[in-house]
Formats: sequence, structure tokens, C-alpha cells
Amino acid sequence: MDAHVEHPGMPGDPFPAIRIRGLVKDYGRVRALAGIDLEVRRGEVFGFLGPNGAGKTTTIRCLLDLLRPTAGTVEVLGLDPRRDGVTLRARLAHLPGELRLPERGTVSQLVASIGRVRGRLDLRRRDELADRLDLDLGRRMRDLSSGNRRKVALLLAFLADAELLVLDEPTNGLDPLVQHEFLALVREARDAGRTVFLSSHVLSEVRRVADRVAVLRAGAIVAVGTVDELRGRARQRVEAWFAGDPPVAELEGLPCLAARTIDGRRFSAVLEGPIQPLLDVLGRHPVESLVVEDPDLEEAFLDLYAGTPR
Amino acid sequence: MSGQRLQLVAGPFGAAWRAGLAWSVVFALMIVGTVAFWPAFRDSSDLGDLLTELPPALLEAFGMEDLLSPAGYLRGGLYDVVVPLMFAAAGVMFASSASAGEEDAGRLELWLAQPVTRQAVFGGRVVAVLGWLAVLAVVVLASQLVSNAAFGLEIAGARVVETVALCALLGALYAGLAFAVAGITGRPGPVLAMGLGLALVGYLVAALFPLSDALEGWAWLSPWDWALGTDPLVNPAEPIRYVALLAGAAALLAVGGIAFARRDVRSA
Repeated sequence: MDAHVEHPGMPGDPFPAIRIRGLVKDYGRVRALAGIDLEVRRGEVFGFLGPNGAGKTTTIRCLLDLLRPTAGTVEVLGLDPRRDGVTLRARLAHLPGELRLPERGTVSQLVASIGRVRGRLDLRRRDELADRLDLDLGRRMRDLSSGNRRKVALLLAFLADAELLVLDEPTNGLDPLVQHEFLALVREARDAGRTVFLSSHVLSEVRRVADRVAVLRAGAIVAVGTVDELRGRARQRVEAWFAGDPPVAELEGLPCLAARTIDGRRFSAVLEGPIQPLLDVLGRHPVESLVVEDPDLEEAFLDLYAGTPR
Repeated sequence: MSGQRLQLVAGPFGAAWRAGLAWSVVFALMIVGTVAFWPAFRDSSDLGDLLTELPPALLEAFGMEDLLSPAGYLRGGLYDVVVPLMFAAAGVMFASSASAGEEDAGRLELWLAQPVTRQAVFGGRVVAVLGWLAVLAVVVLASQLVSNAAFGLEIAGARVVETVALCALLGALYAGLAFAVAGITGRPGPVLAMGLGLALVGYLVAALFPLSDALEGWAWLSPWDWALGTDPLVNPAEPIRYVALLAGAAALLAVGGIAFARRDVRSA
């Protein structure tokens, strides 16, 4: 892959938050990243979508200089992670995907330890975040559930007061209320001018908060665009319960539907295009309930994953 | 010391407190337990007769040629094998869990994602482990001096201080070896295998080579010989012995630190 090809929708920002060119990472004979090009603008929330194993964490670990690229260049906030790692990491906060936190002591002791290493600790902000995330700072680390550990990691990331937040699967294991609070924190960070790099395998989460999205598959970027652009390309699952028999012929005639199944009064399908024609049909018949939901990521971008050209 | 540096040392030091306490208790019990038998041993004439009948080479191999003197008793019971081996094992195990063990568990990443260099994180862990070895040295020394006084084992304090210091430095050398392997591989398996394995090899070389005319001249290859070759319970050790142990440890730690800074950090 030519490292200098610009992706559509990625005008050359002279000072992007993240600029990745031709990033390749091999683990022995296994190629984890096969030449990634990516530009994240300052002040945006950037969704980094992909199924597990696509290379999201590997990319993030390269940003932090935990991994050394096999080939290609990485620039974060204009800095080289290897050469200027200390300066860079002072301006960056990381939430790891694999949560391996120390078992010793309490939450507030861990927060204080990280504060000493980072050189500052805003106690008011700490208490505010703990309150919003519903996290008890006095709990012992070893007693925390995985959801509470995630909250600790979130608190550490948002407490760092960093220009760039690199969040790897931040909402895994969080209950919906806290997920909601998390999305609010992300929006606040953006409003304060910070950049958020958010990796996830959950499409709906990224959709709700990201300005732009890249989709990663098997170590390569298969799509980059705004959420709206990708929304048009994403499939959705539709399920309708009719009061009587479904209008089979009309539904069969809709080109925007695929994988149609009819099971008694229940009709389900995958929506591949605009929803209006379907709504027109449904409007002419008594419908008891209608569900339109985001499919999982692989289903949503089936075409992309199948290797269809962008 | 800045708060950052202090945290990078105090964190791993505190994380090892259970192991540190356990080693301290085992060391103290073993020393007190051994010295407690000294009065009965000294006064047993049967044992003296038995020892004169055993082949001198065998006695020498097990450090028992002078078992009825205070220095000989301490050497045979503690300082020929047990105490140096325990220092070496403690050094390897502290180093392994502070470095490769933490990396293997994915817990190093939290610190390495902060505005610190890899060397600072690695160095903090080195200082923490050396700190625990110093604590153990103080525990061993105190247990030894107190039980010597309590059970009437008469030996010059300076000989005990020097012997314990050399054993602790031997432990630091093997901790350095463990840190070197951890810096290169990041895996606790090779760290423990290399560290404990080479500690044992070092002992065997120092104990068995002197028994063979052909190999006797090569006993200096073992760091055990550097530490205990002059029989420090009896004779003062030359400064070169300290220098050799310290320089060896420093070189190994440098290898570990440089290797760690140059490679990928392993993920959990």
C-alpha cells in the first residue's frame, strides 16, 4: 500500500492529533497491521471500529510506544512516540482494553499513585468523576467487579486532563447508566477542545458520539468517513409484528430488504438502503410493533468485510 | 527524589511486602534455630570423634572440616549453602515478580502509559528489589548477632557482617541476572529457570571444582567463589570480591534496562 495516498474525507491537516502512515506491525510471522493510514484531527471524536482481533489494540499500543512498528510512521500530537514518549504521554491519557490494574490498596490510593507519577492530582475533579461514574473511592481494588474496574480506568483517563484521550473499548462491561455518563464525558471532552480516539467493536456506541469513524478489518482500514456517511452504508435489522398476516407480496417487492423471513405474523429482514419504502408499506397495514436495530459490526459492514472496494 | 521517582520505587517495594515478610521470617527462624543447637553441638564429644573418622575430602566438600569451631559450625550449617542460596533465590524471585511477572500479567502497561521512560519504570523496580535484599541482609545480620549472643557462639562481629554482606551481594548479582533475562524476554518462566538454575550451577562449581585437581583452578568462574572464596567467617575478604559482585550486578542490570527499552512491551 502506498503510504502517501490520502483517504477520502481526510484532507491534510497540518497539525493532526494522530497521523499514521503505512503502519505495519508483525508479531513473528503474523502480520497484525498491514499498512494503516489514518489521520485524526484535533478536537474531534474519532471512532476506531473493528471486530476483536482486527488490530485496534495493536494500533493503540503503537501510539503509546508500548509497541515498536515494523514499518511506517506514527506521529501523535506532532511528536514521535519513541523519541518524545515522555512529553507525549504527559499530554495523552490511555484507557487500556485489557484492564490489568494493581490489586493492592484502594481505588483512591491507586488514583494518588498515578497522580504522583503524572505530577498532578485534581482532587475536586476526582471526586466529581467518582460521583458521576458512581464509583466508591474507598473500595479495595481486589474486591472490584470488572465493571467497577472499568470505571476506575475511566476515572483515571478523564482525570488526566490530557489533550488526547486514547480509549480502547472503554464501555466493555459497563451498565447502561454509566455508558450514558461516559458518552456525556466524551462530549464534554470534545467541547473542551480535546481529541478523543475511541476504539470499539460496538457500532451503536461509536455512532452516538463520534464525528468520524474508521473501520478496521484484519489489520487494514476498510472505510473512513463521517458517521452519517457510514450510516448510509450500514445495514440495520428490521423486525415488524403485524396485526394480521404480513403483506408478503409488497414486502418481497422492496429492493431495500435482504434476508427476509416470515414467521407467522412476524416479519424480519436486513435493511440495506433507505428506510422510507419500507415505512410506506408498513403504513398501509396494521403493525403492532416495529424494531429497527443496529446489527453487530460485522453484519453492518458486511460488504466492507467481504472486501468490496470502497 | 521526586514524587514520581519515589512512586516508581515505593509501588513495587510495597507490592512485595508479603514476600519480603515471608523471607524475613524464614531467614530469622533458620538462623536462630541453627544457632540454638550450638551449645549442645559444642559439648558433644561423640560428634567430634565421628568427624575425625570421615574422609577429609568429603568434609571439605560439605564445609564441615572445622565443624566444631564457631566459624566452622556457622559455615557448615548456614553460610556455605543455605544462606547464600536463599539470598540468590530471594533476589531472583523478587526480581522476577517485579519485572517479568508484572509484564506477563499485563500490569506494567498502566505505568508505561504515563509520562515516564521505560528505564525509570525498570530502574524503580530494580531499586525496590535491592531494597528488599538490604532489608533481608539486616534481618539476617540482626538474627545472627542476637542469637550468637544468646547461645554463646563466639565469633567476631566483623566476620559476620562481612559474610552477610557478601551473601546479600551474591543475591543482588542473581537479581541482576533475573532482571537481565526479564529485560530481554519479559517472561517469568525463563527468568526463574535461568536465575535459579544458574544459582545452583554457581554453587556446584564453587563446591565441587576445588575437589578436582584439574578443575580447582576454575572455581573462580562461580560468583559463589567470588563471594565466599576466602571463607569470610574466618578471614577478611579482599575488596576485589565486592567489586566483582557489584560490577557483575551492575552490568547485568544495564543489559536488562537497555533490552527492555528497545523491545515491544508484552500484552496480557
